[in-house]
Amino acid sequence: MKVLLIGHPNVGKSVFFNRLTGANVTESNYPGTTVDFTKGYMNIGGEDAELIDVPGTFSLDPKDKAEEVAVAMLHENKDVRVICVIDASKIERGVYLALEILEEGYPMVIALNMWDAAVDKNIRIDINNLQRILGVPVVPTVAISGEGIKELISRLKEAKPVEIDDIIKNAGGLT
Amino acid sequence: MKLTIDQRWDLIDKIAKQTVTFGEYRHTLKDAIGELTIKPFTGIPIAIAVMYAFWSIFGSFAGFFTDGFFVRLFDAYWLPWLQEVFPGQGGWLYAIMVDAGGIEGGEFVLSDNCLESFGVLTSGLFVAIGVVLPAIVIFYLMLALLEDIGYMPRLAVLIDTMLHKIGLHGYAIVPTILSLGCNVPGVTATRILETKKQRFIMMTLLAIFIPCGAQIGIMQDVIPGLMGWILLYLIIGYFIFGYILNKIVPGKAPEFLIDVPPYRRPMLSNIGKKVWGRIAGFFKVAIPFVLLGAAIVGVLYQLGVIRFLGDALAPVFVGWFGVPKETAGPLIAAFLRKDLAVAQLSVIEMTEYQMITAVVLVSIYFPCVATFAMMLKEGWKELLGAMAVLTVVVFAYGGLIHLIGILLGVA
Amino acid sequence: MAGKSSVAAIYFAILGIVTTGFGIANILVTAGASEFAYGILEISGDLFRGGWGGAIVLFAGLFYLSGARNFEEIHQFSKIVMGSILIWIMAGCDIFAMITESIPGGEDGPWFNTLDGFIGTYAPPYAPAVLLLPFSLVVLYYINKRNQEM
Repeated sequence: MKVLLIGHPNVGKSVFFNRLTGANVTESNYPGTTVDFTKGYMNIGGEDAELIDVPGTFSLDPKDKAEEVAVAMLHENKDVRVICVIDASKIERGVYLALEILEEGYPMVIALNMWDAAVDKNIRIDINNLQRILGVPVVPTVAISGEGIKELISRLKEAKPVEIDDIIKNAGGLT
Repeated sequence: MKLTIDQRWDLIDKIAKQTVTFGEYRHTLKDAIGELTIKPFTGIPIAIAVMYAFWSIFGSFAGFFTDGFFVRLFDAYWLPWLQEVFPGQGGWLYAIMVDAGGIEGGEFVLSDNCLESFGVLTSGLFVAIGVVLPAIVIFYLMLALLEDIGYMPRLAVLIDTMLHKIGLHGYAIVPTILSLGCNVPGVTATRILETKKQRFIMMTLLAIFIPCGAQIGIMQDVIPGLMGWILLYLIIGYFIFGYILNKIVPGKAPEFLIDVPPYRRPMLSNIGKKVWGRIAGFFKVAIPFVLLGAAIVGVLYQLGVIRFLGDALAPVFVGWFGVPKETAGPLIAAFLRKDLAVAQLSVIEMTEYQMITAVVLVSIYFPCVATFAMMLKEGWKELLGAMAVLTVVVFAYGGLIHLIGILLGVA
Repeated sequence: MAGKSSVAAIYFAILGIVTTGFGIANILVTAGASEFAYGILEISGDLFRGGWGGAIVLFAGLFYLSGARNFEEIHQFSKIVMGSILIWIMAGCDIFAMITESIPGGEDGPWFNTLDGFIGTYAPPYAPAVLLLPFSLVVLYYINKRNQEM
């Protein structure tokens, strides 16, 4: 199995990557720390999986060279499962990227990372409802301390492609 | 099925309305301090204080190890011991590996410190381990702290206006500061800039004007009093030539959008890993090149090549830049390692003006071999362009510094 | 409550005035390119610690002064905290420099400093920021108090 970590810059993809693979990818508290992709290996329920950490990107329409790397990695690996890492306190922008990837038919799980910061800011997210609408697993996580990572990985096998039409239907239609 | 951008946002709006509720949000102290560090009026004084701390701790830490212990270890124990046990005193191998010595009153005399001996095992090791290692350790440690706390993006926002004048934007501060450690990761980090033009300007400026941690470390040790002037010349050059490049390089320099992350408590384990990784990476490159550089310069001295080059280029060195022709040797070493070059310059007899100019020349004249290779990886066209700019800059800026020296009456 | 906060306001206003004064004195001494020592106070005359450092002490004083009024409000309070952080930066650097100087034996001496020499490094006089350090720590009490109220 191949798994790709994708998300906005500075949402903690590299932190996930290091936690999952035990690797030493540089992590910093600023966007743009990762400018190239890194591959690592992890074990999911006895099965070896390849995990790929890519630079942060705001959309699948790349604006700089680092974003190009991210989008190219997604398009080169058609058979991947995607972990879409979203900043829980800026959920709209994250869902935008997630939708773009879902539209291209990739199976996905969503990590609502920095859940603690969202709680601090008094932002409440109805996880169950979000899962119902999007049709993919959604897991709140705090990558730095490791909360939620186990659940995220265990639900990776539930990742499946979803039809955008279904999402629209679940959300109550477009205007 | 693919959605249009408008449909996508419409859908997100629907989803968000059903799943997200925003409670009342009270400003915390952390937020308020975050704001202070980002507004220019309060942020600039804070940035000045952060730089002061960076510099002060850097100096104390590097001085503690280098002046406190390594100088003594190398000069009083290592050098005399090697001079004693290494066979063939006065021979060419001895000169290259241990001590080139000097001629006083027609007699061969041994050097009494590791900067003057010029040997691979003496000067080379002393520069790499005694001087550069402590400097690099403390530099990366403090950089990692600033990074993980989340100060860097705030610095980027503060300096944004200034960097726009040279076709870049605030985020260019990241490759710039990384280059202060080592230019190699600095060049890689230029990928976060959006356009080819920006990447080219950034890469060229880094290669020319940003001294690496190794060079700063050795300057701090051998010419601490002149360092302010050298850095000032480099910073001014960075902006002057950035401004010019922005005018002549075709392409776009788009606006700057950055997310300022909240301040976070740094994780000790992450800092440790990061610092260790960077130091290890640095030393894989540094140690071989320092030793190789010392060896090559030693061989060239022995073969008389350096004397020949010095004589041949004397009109340029003396006439155009106003520095002694003996600087030819260090300038060759500078291609391999700038720290070694500065160490070699420091023992040549020169006036203060000449020393400043020579060190500035070492900084700007050619990126070290590792940076060169990294730039080649990013694209040979960019590399050629950068080299062309570099040639012009060395002559124009070197001449300008000479002119300033003449006007001030010190050259 | 109002009475207590006005005590704090007066305290930080006075601290601000003293700090600002130290900062200005520091810059003046550096401009005169000499050292100044009186009692346990010593002002460095070199461009780095005296000039650059003096400017930071001055900034710290101004932060205190501008934050002292309406002290309960979070944005005002953050300025007080920032003033103290600047003092901590300055004092921290000075103390770190003392520590690194105190351990090695110095040229021609033994490898490590003698005990007397080691302790002697920490004797007064001190730089302004070090003298201000204990007074700046008062801010911790107010941060703590604020956290408990929340």
